[in-house]
Formats: sequence, C-alpha cells, structure tokens
Amino acid sequence: MWPNIQYYCPCLSSANALTPPPPILASSSASFHSLHNLYFCEECDAVRCNRCVSVEVSGYYCPNCLFEVPSASVRAEKNRCARNCFSCPICRATLSVVASDPPDDGTGRPITPLNNVGEGPYLLYCNYCRWDSTEVGITFEKPTGLAGTRWLVHFVSNAYIRVVAIDLSSTAQLQKYEDSAPESLEFERLKEHFEPFLRTSSLSSSTHLLPPTSHHLHTSSATAAASAALSRDIPGISKYNPLSRSRSGRDRTANKDEMAEYKSRVEVGLFGQLGSGGDDADVELLRCTETVGEIAKLEQRWGNSWITSLRMSELRPLRIPLHSKVSKRCPACRHILIKPEQKAQSVRYKIKLAAANYLPALSVGFPQTQAAKRALGKGVEPRNVGVMLAGITNNTFRVALTNPLYDPIQVRLSPQRVTDGRGFQVSLPLTPFSIGAFAEAWEYDDDEDMFGVEDDELGLEVGRGSRDKDARGRTKNVGVLERRANVTVVGGEVNVHRSYRGQVKFNMLVSYTYRSDDPLPSEDGAGTPSRAVVKTPEVKTFSFYTVVDLGPVLSKDDSESR
Amino acid sequence: MPPIRDKFAIHSKAVVCQDVDLKGDITIGPGTVVHPKAAIFALVGPIVIGAGCIIEEAVIIVNRRKDIMRIGDNNLFEIGCRVECPSIGDFNTISTRARVHNTVRMTNHCVVGAQCLVVPAEDETLGEYTCIYGPAADRRIWSGRGQVQEADLRMKHAEYLREMLPKFNRLRRSDGT
Repeated sequence: MWPNIQYYCPCLSSANALTPPPPILASSSASFHSLHNLYFCEECDAVRCNRCVSVEVSGYYCPNCLFEVPSASVRAEKNRCARNCFSCPICRATLSVVASDPPDDGTGRPITPLNNVGEGPYLLYCNYCRWDSTEVGITFEKPTGLAGTRWLVHFVSNAYIRVVAIDLSSTAQLQKYEDSAPESLEFERLKEHFEPFLRTSSLSSSTHLLPPTSHHLHTSSATAAASAALSRDIPGISKYNPLSRSRSGRDRTANKDEMAEYKSRVEVGLFGQLGSGGDDADVELLRCTETVGEIAKLEQRWGNSWITSLRMSELRPLRIPLHSKVSKRCPACRHILIKPEQKAQSVRYKIKLAAANYLPALSVGFPQTQAAKRALGKGVEPRNVGVMLAGITNNTFRVALTNPLYDPIQVRLSPQRVTDGRGFQVSLPLTPFSIGAFAEAWEYDDDEDMFGVEDDELGLEVGRGSRDKDARGRTKNVGVLERRANVTVVGGEVNVHRSYRGQVKFNMLVSYTYRSDDPLPSEDGAGTPSRAVVKTPEVKTFSFYTVVDLGPVLSKDDSESR
Repeated sequence: MPPIRDKFAIHSKAVVCQDVDLKGDITIGPGTVVHPKAAIFALVGPIVIGAGCIIEEAVIIVNRRKDIMRIGDNNLFEIGCRVECPSIGDFNTISTRARVHNTVRMTNHCVVGAQCLVVPAEDETLGEYTCIYGPAADRRIWSGRGQVQEADLRMKHAEYLREMLPKFNRLRRSDGT
C-alpha cells in the first residue's frame, strides 16, 4: 500500500555496502521493513531485522492452559499439551470435560436443579459444534485423577490443573494411546535399534575436527552445536566428500558389519492392516462413500501426529500443540535484542530494543492537493489511482517525523539522486531541522500547539527556515510545514517528467544528531566509530536509509478521462 | 402497505427493558427476558414469543410474513443476531451475530454458531439437534448428550437476568395495563 516509508536493514547487502539497492528492483523489497518489525542493537549501533537476528526458544507453553512445559518434557510429551487441553477433531475448538446427563426421568427436565458436580462417566465436549467424545467411544470414569481405566481420565475443575501438572508421572492417557499407535511403536523401535550405534558414532565424530561452521562470523555455542549436529555424519549415509570417498565408503561397510539387522515390528505387508487400515481400506471406503461429509477434511487431519482414519466419524480429539516463546539476538555481538518474560501468562518483555524507540518514526502522506481532490471528487479513493501526476512539477507530499527520544534531535533528509534518468526529481528540505523531545505528557494533550520548542541548548545552530524563505513567493510546499510536540512535518515536491510511468519510489538517507547523556559507550551506543560520527563529545549522529513509496504516476489524460 | 398497528402483550412475569424497539403486534410470554437495544418488528403478521426466552442486546427479530411468527420456550438469542424464521421451537441457541433467513424453520435444540449465515434460497426446516457451525456454516447433528445440563444452565441464566436486569433498567409493561 502506498504512500509508505520502509526502513532499510543492511543485513542482505554485501559487507560494507551500506547503501540500499535501487528501490525499483523487485528484489529490494526484502531489505526494507516497517519500523515496528525492526530492532536496534545498542552495542553495534545498528538496525537489525527479523531476517538477520538469531532466534532462540526461551520456553514452551500450552496456549490453552498456559502451563509452561519444561523443555525436558516437551519431547516426551511429543510437543503437545499433556494436561487437560484437547481440540475438537471436527472444528478445532477447545474441548471441555463435562459430566454426563443425569438419567432421564421421562420428562426431559431435571426435577431438582442440578448441582455443579455432575456424575460420571465424563466426556469431552465441544461447546461450538457439539461434538462429544462418546462418538468415538472415549469416556472417563472420573473427572479427576488419571485412573485411565478406559481411555483417559481428566478433570473438570481448573483447581486440579496445577496439582496434576506437577505430577510428572501422570501424562495424559490419550498420549499413551498415541504412543501405542503402530507407527509410533515402530519409530520407537527404530530409535532403540539405532541408539547404540548413534552413540558410538557421535563419540567418534566428536574426535573429528569441528565441521566448518556457518557463514556468520559470530556464532554462539548453541548455534555452533546446532550446526555441528546438522553436519554430523549420519550412520549409513556418508557425508558427501569427494576427496575421502573411498575412506568413508570403507567406514560405511565397517559400520554395516557392526550393526545388527533391523527387524520391523510387523511385516511390511501387514502393516497396512494395522492402525488406519492402509491404502486398500481407504480406497474401499472412498468407493462406498455417499456424501462428501463422511470424509474428514484435510484441515481436520493434518494436525495429527500419525495417520488417522479418513472417516470423519472416527476422528479423535487432539492434544493441543505447544507454543514457544523466543528471544532474539543480534547476529554480530550476540546481545539480546528482545526477550519475553518467562511466564506464559505475561505478555511483557524483559528486554526489548525495538528500533521504534531509537529511530525517528517517519510517515508519509499527501496534502489535500488538487489531484487528490480531483480523484476524491470522482468518487475514487486516491489510494487506488495515484496522486502523482506526470508532467507536473510540484506534486506535493509530506513527511511527518516523530522523535521517540527524550532529547530534541536534528534531522537531515537526503533523498538519493535518481541517476538512471527515470524521470522524476524529488525536492525535500536538505538542511537539518529539529524535532522536539518526546515527553509522556504530550500523549495526553496532543492537540496543544507546541510551537517554539527549540533546541538551542543543543548547541547546533541550524539553518532552519532558509529553505522557507526560498520557497516564499509561491505557496510553501517544500520545507518545515508544521512543528508540534515531538512531531515535525516537512513538505516535499516531486517533479515528474511528462513521459514517466511507474512508481515514484526513492531511497532516502535520514541522519539525525542526538545528544548522548554520557560520553561512555552505553545508552544510545557509541559503538563503531565509523558509524557514529562524534562532533562534540556529547553529540552523536546516526544515519539510516529508508525507501519512500509515493505510489504510481498518473498521466494527465488518465486523470481527466477518469 | 397499511400502517403497522402496535399492540404489545407482555406477560407480567416477563422482563422487557424500556429501551427496546417494538413494532406491530407482539406477545411476550412469562419469564422471557428482553435486553435493552433489542428490536422486535412484527412488520406484517404478529410475533408470539414463548416462555423463558433470552433476547440479548442488538438482536433483531423480524416477521415479514402474514402468518404468526411463533417462537417457543427457552430459546437464547445472543447479541446482534438477526432472526426472521417463521417458526422456532424450544431450547434453540442463535449465537452472536448469526443470521437466520425467513426461509428457515427451526425445530428444537438447534444451535446456530457465531456469525453463521443460514440463508437457503428455498424453504427448509432444521431438524432437531441440528448444529450449524464454522465459517462455512457446516452442519452436524448433535447427539443431545449434555442437553439436560444445558437446559438447566439456560434456566439459571434467565433466572439471574430476571433478577438483575430490573435493578439497572426501566421495564416496559404491557400497553393494556
């Protein structure tokens, strides 16, 4: 959507090339991000995007009961909640455990009001589509505890969640059922079979040289371990290595000799007859099908860990898959950029270095120009047709800059010159201008005009207003148009050549000078000296690139005919 | 079209808030609760609502036909749903922002899920225990297990509302009395 401004993260460009790719290239979009998606590393004094940060899982939790699952038991519980959380096989809603109805006395209504504690057997019940677990023969004797006499027993009352969850021996009976699936048993058997072999080979591979690590210069021990695990020799499959092919071949034969032959639990031919019934049964089922509704939809089946029946009526409740919280690190210095609080209930962050707290927020818009009015008058949203007119020298636009810092900043905009004669020129105020400091109070009375918020104490006298004088004579379009609180609005113009068609999209370098409270490299970072040019001991400059998209150009004839 | 003659018959045990938009010939049975901002329009034929129904805020109930629109007992109309069914049985639930067209007749114990559109082109009767759910308005038949508990909950719900609503709202009385 346009008009918009996106921020550049240099992670995709080759080393030391800090200028972004020309925005006209379609591939450039991968380098630009909206501000709220970016992080800012104080140590490196650089913008980081989701593409370049390294991600670590900081905890697993169930999205339904918000229980934090220790990572040790995540694997044992097969990445699903082992407590009382199930999703409906029909509609994916969360199931609740309910008691059975009291025996019907014939009238269909209970004589006495029911008390809260119902009577068994208990069943899983979907409040949304009214599916219940008796349809697949799952009922429980008790709402609490895990007697597991039939399929599984779980609890109604939330009060029991914690108690049972702490008791680690009490995994859900439904998981036991899953684990007893033939595929699962076969997998376990395979793991058992290969385990001694894997252990010996991992011992031997650890004596080898570490494999070449990833392209990143800085890798933590965790990522190094991960990449080592990825490039580890898999027994039986030699790593492709043309130089040592013969040797590894020898290894392989040697390994083969060591390993006992694997016998599967069941014959391959018989396997299909266990569990879901195999292909033949599925074909038979499809032949006998009368309505589409009998067959489970894809979205009802693909959440399953193992193959399930095609029949809608045989779908079983699923344990709810766990979610994870992740923290992100700077790829260069390994400092944490964002880290959530450990508790699953909390949505706060322990560390959050969002770029929005460091860089001025830019937003671009159009004034109610003639072109825009024209488009509006025709009942067409200007967003859909374009505001920029070809052959007009003063297509105006506005950039509003918001300062997130508690000190005033000086900003200098420098739109990148379009060198390939694409046929439009951008004029923006090129002299630095100031933006007032951010203060919480302004969030409350934002309508108040905060003119005269000057920042002379910064010691940087700026040629503010010189441009204004130039622009006098005609209506002022280029220059600082408005200044209030921590927002400054500047106007710009685009001169579009008569024959130019396409997007008006250009890169813009934004440099801002801010006061850092202490000369030591900490707060807003005085990281790499090449990036932060120190003018006085207390004032620093940071630059970043943005891309401004002003939308497609409209030819005059088009707009007239429209 | 002749002008709509208003004629409201509200049972003395019904709780109908003042801020309810009623039009035409409407009968509201005992124990029924109508929240403020609900709208019941008997544009042509009359509307008869049974006992123990709960009609929540911003519900629109319209009768465009000449016949009487009969709504049975203990039905729940959740916030913002729109119902034009010519007949509704007992213990039905029409969830939030669902919409049921005037070609549909509902029997008993039916459930229309949140934001479901039930707008068949031809006349249709929803069988007992029909459950309509999901964005595509899929249908299935409820086994009926848990219905006693649900009925009990419905009655407690209505009872609570009958007690609480008059404390915070002015009530409308039958225009005859």
